[in-house]
Amino acid sequence: MRITQAMMSNIFVSNLRKQTEAMLQRQEQIATQKRINRPSDDPSGMGRVLAGRSTLATIGQYTDNIKQGKTRLEFTEQTLKLVDDLVQQARRTAQEKSGDGVTAEERALAAEAVKEIYDQVLQLANSKLNDRYLFSGDRTNTAAFTRDAGYNATYNGDAGSCRIPIADNVEVRVDADGRSYFQDAANGGVNIFDQLRDLIAGLENTDVSAGSAQIRATVDPLEEAHVQIMDKRAEAGPKLYRLQATEEHWTNVKNTVQAAIGREEDVDVAQAIIELKNLETAYQSTMAAASRIIQPSLVNVLK
Amino acid sequence: MTHLFGVLSTATSALLTQQRAINVTGNNIANVNTPGYSRQRLNLETGMPTQTGLGMMSYGVTSTDVERVYDRFLGVQLNNENANLGRWEAQKGMLDRVEVVFDESGGYGLNQALSDFWNSWQDLSLKPEGQTERAVVAATSQGLADAIRQKYGELEQVQKDIDIAVRDGVETVNRLAAQIADLNQKIARTEIGGTNANDYRDRRDLVLKQLSEMIDITSFEDATGQAVVSVGAGRPLVESGNTWQLSAQTNADGHTDIFWPDVDGGLVNLSGEIRGGRIGGWLQTRDAKIAGYQSDLDALAQGLMSEVNTLHAAGYGLDGTTNTDLFTGSGAVDMQINPAVLADLNLIAASAPPGAYGNADQAIAINALRTGLTMNGGTSTFDAAANALVSQVGYDVQAAKANASHQADMATYLENYRESVSGVSLDEEMVNLVKFEAAYNAAAKMVSMADEMLDSLMNMMR
Repeated sequence: MRITQAMMSNIFVSNLRKQTEAMLQRQEQIATQKRINRPSDDPSGMGRVLAGRSTLATIGQYTDNIKQGKTRLEFTEQTLKLVDDLVQQARRTAQEKSGDGVTAEERALAAEAVKEIYDQVLQLANSKLNDRYLFSGDRTNTAAFTRDAGYNATYNGDAGSCRIPIADNVEVRVDADGRSYFQDAANGGVNIFDQLRDLIAGLENTDVSAGSAQIRATVDPLEEAHVQIMDKRAEAGPKLYRLQATEEHWTNVKNTVQAAIGREEDVDVAQAIIELKNLETAYQSTMAAASRIIQPSLVNVLK
Repeated sequence: MTHLFGVLSTATSALLTQQRAINVTGNNIANVNTPGYSRQRLNLETGMPTQTGLGMMSYGVTSTDVERVYDRFLGVQLNNENANLGRWEAQKGMLDRVEVVFDESGGYGLNQALSDFWNSWQDLSLKPEGQTERAVVAATSQGLADAIRQKYGELEQVQKDIDIAVRDGVETVNRLAAQIADLNQKIARTEIGGTNANDYRDRRDLVLKQLSEMIDITSFEDATGQAVVSVGAGRPLVESGNTWQLSAQTNADGHTDIFWPDVDGGLVNLSGEIRGGRIGGWLQTRDAKIAGYQSDLDALAQGLMSEVNTLHAAGYGLDGTTNTDLFTGSGAVDMQINPAVLADLNLIAASAPPGAYGNADQAIAINALRTGLTMNGGTSTFDAAANALVSQVGYDVQAAKANASHQADMATYLENYRESVSGVSLDEEMVNLVKFEAAYNAAAKMVSMADEMLDSLMNMMR
């Protein structure tokens, strides 16, 4: 084959271009620590990276949701515990003050105490978390219960419940209907407010024996109210456990997905540096060879 | 019959011819770096033989012609590969810009905008009456609409830039065609006198190569050595000294198409016929690739708008309003968040039943769209469709890069092959120079020797 000067320089130039291109790519990989710097570097890898990022973003959101859900459940639990204490206190008052030997003064004092209990339960039933009423269903801007002067409580909420998305199309429902906690008469439960009202009425009754009967009538329902609240508190347990388990699951998935994304887009720095080193050697030897081959022609030899 | 003057005339022919050969060699050396130059060779022949007493004998040397050394079949192949190279390089150049539009490697792009959008609805579902959560939903909805609209607009911008490139390309094609026609005439006029129009042919080959880089052509030489060039489906561009002027005009889509004038003065749209060259690459990028991405974006935008709007319109806002669209627009080109929603965040319909202040059923339903198989005829999610689009762009750029690099290798290979046949080798020319110089010196020696002989002859008379 006939070789001309132009051929040698053409081949030299095209090889240099390829080598510098490859070196630039390695340099970029080392600088960004990423193997995929644009979609064309690895289109299918990029697709997997993007899918992984969507998953991570979703997991992040679900984890946030779970945290909020846990807060809500724990807060509800705390609230109900206080209500339970108050209800038990009221029950004890009813037991102690139902006897005929209790004086009208003692009963009047006890009535005041039960009124306090009533208002405190009312206040707890109107608890707010994150600026939302916990027990008024979807009417989260409306206080769940109000009472009139005769201690008759009215529910102002609706039947809505709080839905917490914890996974794709999976949610934990937390009951937000205040009636199911405090006025579950519809389901054969106890209307705590009514029982407290009756207790107050019995304690304030000027007819002592009729009052005693009224007071005694509230003892069993108040005991049932304790069970009702305990049941509601028990409901929170499995839900909390479920949230906890899901959160752990997401933590594991997150680590796995992060590792997968890393494997996909992170560069093996050691390998990249070795490759760069090899390319450098090739580049330098190309230059050295070119400087030897391109320069001399017969012109230099003929004098 | 031999005589002393015969020796002189033989030496003269040798002197002149070797000098001419040195001239040709000098010209080769001068053009060692001239693109498209084919090395030339002086063809030598012995002088006209005459009858001598001893038989036929020729006196001296003559040069018949200056021939250029080339492979006549290489030109066509080189032009074809150049057309392919031009096509892929043009595609690569434009797709590189498209890739920047879809560059998600930094983490900001369609993927992020979609994730933010879905997550904001989940946040809202936990506190549907929260003004902060509503503001975030509005912001992410706007962000999503902006991202889609912006990408669509950027794709349009690339198309517009291609239109400009195509217009320039058509001008270049017309200019090169005119040069070929001009060179055709010059070659015909030169060669009718029996001499080779070597340099004109070199120049024409070079122009043909440049032309094939712009547009795929078929060319051949007619009987008079004039190039006949046609484009598209065999539509003539150059015939001897005539050219058909291509024109660039705006088509119904607002893009630039290329037209060829037919006999009746009508215009034929060539855009569908051009496959190669830079113009072919540009047209394919614009009409197939980018238009494809645009329709994918459109499908994504329309799917999102119809699905989200249907749910959103069915829900109720904080103030009890219903039947509000979250997005307005007809597709990716004009998708945006409903300005009314942006102005009044209470319009965001998180609630399914009317008047339920803290109800989040509709927000949860809208968030559930994320996992719904709504795109590509009910086979993929919105996220997957958006990711697939990014990957598709990546594949196309990768293919264009690989093809451009392969074609560049092909072109280099053929160029080197052409070089090996037609290129100037300085070593070779130096050898020739030494050879012709020695011959010239020897011929000069002959003249001086003949001179001495004549001198001796003259002195004999004294």
